[in-house]
Amino acid sequence: MMESPADIKWTGYSLAERDWRWQRVCDDAAKAGFDCIFVPLCVDGRNLHLSLEQARGTRSDCRFLTQLENAAVILPTDGRKPIIISDQESGNDWIPELRPVDGSWGTSMARALIDAGMERARIGVSGIRRSLYTHGRAYHGVVNHSSYAEVLRLLPNATFDNATEVVGHARYVKSEEQIACLRCGSAIAAAGIDKMIELARPGMDEGILYTSVMKRMVELGSEYYPMAFYSGLHGGGRLPRFEDPTEGRTLRPMYRIANEVDAVFGGLIAQEQQPIFLGPIPDEWKTAIDVQHDLYYAALEHLTPGQPFAEFMDFVNGFGEKRGAKSIMLMHGRGYGDDGPLFTPQNRGARNRDVLIESGNVFIVKPIVKTADDSFDTSWGGCVLVTDKGGEPLVKRTPGMVSIT
Amino acid sequence: MPWTTPAASGATVHIWNGYSLAERDRRWNAVRANAAKAGMDCIFVPLGNGVDGRYLTQLRCSAMVLPTDGRAPMVIADRRSSNAWVPEPWQTGREWAEPMGEALLDLGMQRARIGVAGLKGGSVSHCTSIDGVVNHTAFEYVMSKLPNATFEDATDLVGVVRYVKSDEEISFVRQSTEVATAGIDELIKLARPGVDAGVLYADVLGRLIELRSEYFPLALTIDAIGTEKPKRYLNPPLGRRLGPNALITNEVNAIRGAQLTQVCQPILLGKIPDAWKPLIELHKEVYEAGLAMIKPGTTFGALTEFVNGFGVKRGVKTVVQLHGCGYGDDGPLLSARSRGDRVRDLRIEKGNTFVWKPIAMTADEKIQFSCGGPLIVTDRGCETLFKREHGMVSVI
Repeated sequence: MMESPADIKWTGYSLAERDWRWQRVCDDAAKAGFDCIFVPLCVDGRNLHLSLEQARGTRSDCRFLTQLENAAVILPTDGRKPIIISDQESGNDWIPELRPVDGSWGTSMARALIDAGMERARIGVSGIRRSLYTHGRAYHGVVNHSSYAEVLRLLPNATFDNATEVVGHARYVKSEEQIACLRCGSAIAAAGIDKMIELARPGMDEGILYTSVMKRMVELGSEYYPMAFYSGLHGGGRLPRFEDPTEGRTLRPMYRIANEVDAVFGGLIAQEQQPIFLGPIPDEWKTAIDVQHDLYYAALEHLTPGQPFAEFMDFVNGFGEKRGAKSIMLMHGRGYGDDGPLFTPQNRGARNRDVLIESGNVFIVKPIVKTADDSFDTSWGGCVLVTDKGGEPLVKRTPGMVSIT
Repeated sequence: MPWTTPAASGATVHIWNGYSLAERDRRWNAVRANAAKAGMDCIFVPLGNGVDGRYLTQLRCSAMVLPTDGRAPMVIADRRSSNAWVPEPWQTGREWAEPMGEALLDLGMQRARIGVAGLKGGSVSHCTSIDGVVNHTAFEYVMSKLPNATFEDATDLVGVVRYVKSDEEISFVRQSTEVATAGIDELIKLARPGVDAGVLYADVLGRLIELRSEYFPLALTIDAIGTEKPKRYLNPPLGRRLGPNALITNEVNAIRGAQLTQVCQPILLGKIPDAWKPLIELHKEVYEAGLAMIKPGTTFGALTEFVNGFGVKRGVKTVVQLHGCGYGDDGPLLSARSRGDRVRDLRIEKGNTFVWKPIAMTADEKIQFSCGGPLIVTDRGCETLFKREHGMVSVI
């Protein structure tokens, strides 16, 4: 039984959590020789919308460091307090005092950097390019042009270097507080899936189904994060993907439903995924579904800290072959948005081979298994926490395809 | 050299794209004409400016180069997306800088005067994004590929086209308002003392998307009437139930046909205090007097002066509050925070659609009241789409 929003006691991250995040960033930045970390104004997610994840990720560094929806951050590495510039009307428990945006973000950010003594500094800029840990889908980063160009113009003697990895690595390992929020988000996403299974029947209006799932998650306290919903007959090519309630589409017998059901709690995006078939599962699919089930559990055993991803990737990608199928790694980090490393069928994750798996990482693990002739593929998954003993699902569910007859 | 489509890309995302080809041509031709008048060789909508991109392509994510000489535009899209407006865009995966540069070069813009939409905040679009919305790294790359071209802000050249709505667009502004109004009806139906505020939030949001609105955050305050700085929620409130005398202020937004509209009407879980009644009455007067002024030819300076001066002789304050309906961040933006100095001389035109919700407040600003919704500017005046009875809704 899940709590309703009025009974949820969580009131936000602690000040200790804030200090832990700032310290992680400062330590890595100092090690990299930066005088400060600069998170500049980033483009909003409605305008920079390459995907749901990426859109949510554009201002994720500022949310990670301030819990504000929109801010620029200057965090000196010598232990001084950060300067936060924001257009929000007021601060929060973490940031009681803000510097307002005066005239333009560009001049306000430049003035703050100068006030922090950074005229000739080596400034690490987060979000200027994609990194291994964050902003992996935004190849060109997420930074707003006009304001950043103004900062460069007003600080001609400073050096600006990419430091996306610095903030990214701080985000990569989750604290106990973050893990608790992701656990809550996973449970809410699972409840959304339960609602979908309860309602998905031939004849059901897909838009109403979409709405019911979203409403269920919001009424359990999740922020609204659009579900990715796919439906259609098998064999007609790739299923269409929708991120809004559809119009004029009705579920039919023998429809496949795929989904990415995300819930956001404490600002962190959890995801659970559950394929559904509106009919008896065809025999020729069963082997792939069984292999996917076994692969998921085997992957959890191999998801241990201290090793680079190379071995894990090879294990997952080679698993299917031994069972007469094909397997492909599909997995990425969970957090404030556009968390990495990113492994998809399009981006096989080769650049991530040397990235270390660390205790406290949280991933969405949802490997794909295909039949040998590529006529069928399936992916099931959910959020997994890396512990010393391997991967621990944040919510208990069983891999497989749900058949609704 | 034409851009080569990468081998792999993610799943195509289907979004609403129901405007006609005539509407496409209207938009493209109007932007071309504005750009030509301003001496631009093309309009460039780069990565980052998703809202203008959607307005000009109906694609979820796109970049565009629209030459002013009448040639067809070059559009870059991702995830194998296309539609009737743009049947054959250049496809990309996650690499945008290179195809954008290639598109400009392909169209012969090496030494051109290029108008960049979204480089700065505009008068009637991208109003809250004062430094624009353009992605830095991709834009820097594009400029490096065309060192002899001139890149200038052209946000308003697209913005003024978005500012005047066609009949097709207006029909969706109407639909969108109906959906938003259904959301506020749901709020009024369900808001009672003891109700879980998070569940209420979910119910209202659920009602909006059930009526096929695209998602846009619902804004609520739920503190008791008289609370000095009520907390504003853009997500379901946690740990909160509605109390007696809760004053629910709201911004209920809906999107149909990509047209974002908003209605707002305060709801009080109790009897309206006597001290509020004259202010609510005065709000009605200023709301209606403002409506009478909103017609083609009126400048926003005149409207602002009229509204802001309205309360003075009655010993209270009245403040203009208005913004455009449309694809998002539409202007002009007139509010207590944004005084709209740069649009003082801009005239209201037939086909404008605004959210009209002036504020009335006591001299000490302790009591503040606002309600309203969308309107359409017609030949001689305006038609309000906000049909609910004026005032604060009292739920006893």
